[in-house]
Amino acid sequence: MNSLLNLKEIEKRAIQSTYQDGLMDIQYGLIVACMAIFIYRPESGYSPLNIILAIVGIVLTNLLFMVGKRMITLPRMGMVKFGEMRHKKNRRMAIVLGVFILAQVVLVIFTSLGLFNSQIGSWIDKVLGNHSGSLLVVSAIGSLMVGVSIIVMSYFTDFDRGFYISILMALAVFLMIFLNRPLWPILIGLVIIIPGVVLLVRFLKRYPIIKEGGEHD
Amino acid sequence: MTESPLPGAVNIDTIDRVLHEPARLQIAALLYVVEKAEFLFVMNQTGLTWGNLSSHLAKLEQGGYVMIEKSFKGKRPSTSISMTPKGRGAFKEYATQMRQLFQDLPA
Repeated sequence: MNSLLNLKEIEKRAIQSTYQDGLMDIQYGLIVACMAIFIYRPESGYSPLNIILAIVGIVLTNLLFMVGKRMITLPRMGMVKFGEMRHKKNRRMAIVLGVFILAQVVLVIFTSLGLFNSQIGSWIDKVLGNHSGSLLVVSAIGSLMVGVSIIVMSYFTDFDRGFYISILMALAVFLMIFLNRPLWPILIGLVIIIPGVVLLVRFLKRYPIIKEGGEHD
Repeated sequence: MTESPLPGAVNIDTIDRVLHEPARLQIAALLYVVEKAEFLFVMNQTGLTWGNLSSHLAKLEQGGYVMIEKSFKGKRPSTSISMTPKGRGAFKEYATQMRQLFQDLPA
């Protein structure tokens, strides 16, 4: 029996226990791989197929996560519905992420203006020196947006592994845009997935399915 | 022996004995921060055995502090537990009494 009694800690421990299955890590890793398809610009030209494939990939990843939670985690860990403490945290997260999304929309609008306005575009190229300089800036901004969003989500959801995952995801986005080679983000996705798989195997060993009245080993 | 109570003092006879037991206090603390949890989740979080948890939950249920609902999720039996408003009130009251009891204790 655990003898520590601190309500905030109890709640934090309860939510963190739901991440022990490694499914979240696997989901993030697969999302990175899907993003690689989304951002990759083939020599033949960027096509709507990139967007369609990425969306299908992300939908499948989320479905896999939900099925995993339902079939693997719930029968072993039991279901929990968090209370007002967690709802408050989620509301704060929604506000912060909302501000972030708004900032990203503004940034995209400015980028589009730059793209379709040759004067602004040439001014940016002049300021940054050359095309590779502007690509560097776009890569840095893209990785910053993804990295910071995941850090914010990890902080509010008490998902500690999310902090290193956010750095890896930011790096993946940077390499995806700057180098335009999907191999790197896919490798980074694997780096995120592997600990998730290890955690999943450990989880399955630690929590076998038990029937009512029985106990774990 | 009858003594006039000190202002702000806690009558230890009024301390909730149902919640004062460490295992039940731990169960109550967990149920206080969640809306609802399955038996299995409470067992994993508290580290209590199936039998132990059952008997403590039965006492909490008798006191009207928790509500236990048994159902089936597909073929899987499921027991979900939630704290009643009475249980929440009792837990808050217990916390207040404990704080009061030790507030003037020198460090």
